[in-house]
Amino acid sequence: MGEKRRVIGAVGSAVGLSGFAAALGFCCAAPWAVTLLGVTGAVAFARLAFLLPYALIAAIALLGVGFWFAYRRPAECADRMCVPKSRRALQWVVWIATVMVGALAVIAVSVRVTF
Amino acid sequence: MRRQSTLFLVLGAAIALMSCARADDAKTAGQYTLLDDQSSQLKADFNRAKGSVRLLFVVDPTCPGCLRGMDDVDKALLSGTSDPRLQTFVVHVPVLEPPPQAKDIAPSATLLHNPHVRHYWNPTGSFGNALTKSVGLKNDKRDVFAWDVWLVYGPEATWDGDLPPRPQLLMHQLWALEGSKEFPHLDRAVFAKKARELLAKLPPQAAK
Repeated sequence: MGEKRRVIGAVGSAVGLSGFAAALGFCCAAPWAVTLLGVTGAVAFARLAFLLPYALIAAIALLGVGFWFAYRRPAECADRMCVPKSRRALQWVVWIATVMVGALAVIAVSVRVTF
Repeated sequence: MRRQSTLFLVLGAAIALMSCARADDAKTAGQYTLLDDQSSQLKADFNRAKGSVRLLFVVDPTCPGCLRGMDDVDKALLSGTSDPRLQTFVVHVPVLEPPPQAKDIAPSATLLHNPHVRHYWNPTGSFGNALTKSVGLKNDKRDVFAWDVWLVYGPEATWDGDLPPRPQLLMHQLWALEGSKEFPHLDRAVFAKKARELLAKLPPQAAK
């Protein structure tokens, strides 16, 4: 698997998980769940609310993995015998994902704490 | 041929009976009383049920957390009994945005499977404020609006003044009250146990 795929897979999952956490935060504080899922569905979704902190922790861990792949020196250049390919684009992706995860985490936690 | 006709007839009758039962459930679930700012009707009903163990829930009918609480209490206690010595009052108040409407009560009411449940709609939320004052629901001196709260009253409790009486147990699902020793987080097993303990002390025919 290429570095690009690894980085995008890790940070994409991190963004997805933090989006899930934000949805969990909103679920218990916003009436959309009842409208969208019905009473039984909303109850089932509310039962998942305990997953919020775990989803955020997993998202942060995945971001860490993304940073590791984006910033590490490739194996073929470990002996400093070659010049590594520029990874600036990948590094930008990781930082953008970090901002997104941070924003979603703030939303998830602040909504949860408000109610 | 005759057997088939009989089978269809029996099936048809069963389906008709089931639809009637469902319609009755839906009708009961959709019924609620509009509460004025003095909660007059709730006060009257509460005092009329003196001698029974009384449960009081204050919920927003569109709040998934509240609905989960209703489902929890139903599973732990209400669905397993039709004892008339246990009376339940559910006050629906608007808290979330956009605010819920009276029509939202019926779907949420279907979560409680017990014949002795009454629903009230308090569109101004005045009952939540009254309950806050009555029980002293505070977070570091700041009043916390009483919703998503679950109360158990013993048979002796009487609502005398303007404010509802203090319960024997108040549980909640509010972040603002997390860590409170006086008001624990809703635990359906503890809640049901308390209600059952009070019920066990009642004489068998104490209900009104």
